[in-house]
Amino acid sequence: METLNFLGQGFGVALMPTNLMMAAIGALIGTIVGMLPGLGPINGVALLMPLAFALKLPAHTALILLTAVYIGCEFGGRISSILLNVPGDAGAIMTAIDGHPMARAGNAGVALSISAWASFVGSTVATAGIVLFAPLLARWALAFGPAEYFALMCFAFACITGLMGSEPLKAVLAAALGLALSTVGLDSNSGVYRFTGDNVHLSDGIQFIVVVIGLFSVSEILVMLEHQTHSSGLIRTVGRTLFNMKEFMMTGWTIVRSSVLGFVVGVLPGAGATIASAMAYSVEKRLNDKDGTFGKGDVRGVSAPEAANNASANGSFIPMLTLGVPGSGTTAVMMGALALYNITPGPALFTQQPELVWGLIASMFVSNVLLLFINIPLVGLFARLLLVPNWLLVPGILAISAVGVYSVHATTFDLLLMGVLGIVGFALRKAGIPMAPLILGFVLGDLMEQNLRRALSITNGELSILWGSPITVGLWLAAAAMLLLPPLYRRWQRRHAALA
Amino acid sequence: MADRILGTVCLLLGAAMAWASRSYAAEISYEPVGPRAFPLLLAAIFALIGAWLLVTGRRRVAKPAAAPKATLAEPLPASGAAEAATAIVPAAPANNLVAVAMCAVAVLVYGALFQPLGFVLATTLMAVPVCKAFGGTLKGGLLGGLGLGFGLFFLFDKVLDVILPTGVLSFLLGGR
Repeated sequence: METLNFLGQGFGVALMPTNLMMAAIGALIGTIVGMLPGLGPINGVALLMPLAFALKLPAHTALILLTAVYIGCEFGGRISSILLNVPGDAGAIMTAIDGHPMARAGNAGVALSISAWASFVGSTVATAGIVLFAPLLARWALAFGPAEYFALMCFAFACITGLMGSEPLKAVLAAALGLALSTVGLDSNSGVYRFTGDNVHLSDGIQFIVVVIGLFSVSEILVMLEHQTHSSGLIRTVGRTLFNMKEFMMTGWTIVRSSVLGFVVGVLPGAGATIASAMAYSVEKRLNDKDGTFGKGDVRGVSAPEAANNASANGSFIPMLTLGVPGSGTTAVMMGALALYNITPGPALFTQQPELVWGLIASMFVSNVLLLFINIPLVGLFARLLLVPNWLLVPGILAISAVGVYSVHATTFDLLLMGVLGIVGFALRKAGIPMAPLILGFVLGDLMEQNLRRALSITNGELSILWGSPITVGLWLAAAAMLLLPPLYRRWQRRHAALA
Repeated sequence: MADRILGTVCLLLGAAMAWASRSYAAEISYEPVGPRAFPLLLAAIFALIGAWLLVTGRRRVAKPAAAPKATLAEPLPASGAAEAATAIVPAAPANNLVAVAMCAVAVLVYGALFQPLGFVLATTLMAVPVCKAFGGTLKGGLLGGLGLGFGLFFLFDKVLDVILPTGVLSFLLGGR
């Protein structure tokens, strides 16, 4: 009951004219950014963050804008997956497998509309999940002390490395690099300058936005250059624009299952939309691929990943809002944005700034509806944007990135650092090092160190406090499971495949 | 081979961090853990990862080369998922490295000239090589760059109030 009251107040915030407008603008920009290959939600949020700041938007309005961009990106990624066979963002990789064959068979309109519907359901289910679970989790998290927080962050890193694929070691390395970057600058406890090399520009640390834009936008552009993506050309004949009743019924359970799965994956800190959509696709394939239609243009193969990646994007707000530990790379960026507003997400946020939290949650419902309206009738209009050639698009992205970085401190140093980090990011990606754990490390670094130091202060340096409570023990066990189970599962799967 | 280079870099990074942090001590200490501990912990992690990569890198060279990997974040190796991802993102042709280098230099030069030349000219200058790198023409880059430069300048500086440097064009754009 109390929750519904808060949610009502939240709708009051979300439906204020400025906030509604920002949600619409964010949804529109998000869809476009998500659609453009090479730009994902992280870039979208990173590009708009300084703008929100420069426009002096109040915190809740800025957060609503950024959230709409994030959700919009997850909606938009599918458009280029389906029409171009090039995923607009990583969460939409799986959508191309069935979406593009559908488009080539003249059913682009059906693929686009059913995936928009799936995205909407996925997002809405997950937002409802936030309403149900976030307040509970926030209340529970109030019992967390520094040791619990430290263990929780270790758990977040374990999630992101364990689920990251075949090379968890490189994910650990990425996280450590992020943590190391976060130590640059003045140590607030002791007043010691660390790793600044006596450079004034580094004395209050490396700007968050420089790291994000350098490592994501700039390095992404270099990676784009190297990989000439295969595309069979933009598909223009859209055919029937809306799915019919049969397709609606056929995908019903698929969408529900994938939404729930996506939500659960999203809530785990670190595991993002890519993993959620891959898992949802393979579950549906296992359950439904009786005639071998998956991969050849099955509507369920389009709905499953889309429902899951949107659900996971929304779900990833739960750990960020309730625990202060971001659930995805993008929520890590949003946490950085909140820090620019001097807001620290965490359980206290629910009691101290309920209008911010609930306004945000309500705005997610609003954005979802806006996105559905944007994405079903206007999709043809968006698709035309895919005709903008890269040679014009990329300088534009670079220029906007530079404006974003420059607007924070107005120094050339930040721009040069952005370039250097872009090149370093490119080299790291070439070496197979994922960027998401790095950004997570960078965002969490300071918090993690502070909590470790605070915990050890309590016991005067005695390490045992780190595993001294049931919560910490539980978190360490969960972290160990996250690290050990995926490789064991993979091994089991390989052996299984070898026997079969 | 790449893993062994990475391993060496990790070891060096760990050593550099440890060396740099040896002097980080608080003047007066109120707490058992000072500013040095966390960096040292990270240095140790880098050293461990580096050593591990060196050891396993050698073993991996002896074995047949590992399968090519997808460049986007890898999904779980669920059945079909990994292959699908690799199919969509094909392995890189190596001959684009010149274009990559050209683009990287353009970004660095852009940063250096952003203030002295001003946003409009610096953007034009950056757009030309980047445009070439992405298969555009010289004329396209020049016109596109000028369009972007002026367009974004008016959008951000005049409409959205994000102050941008005008540089040598300050007489035209209203200098600050």
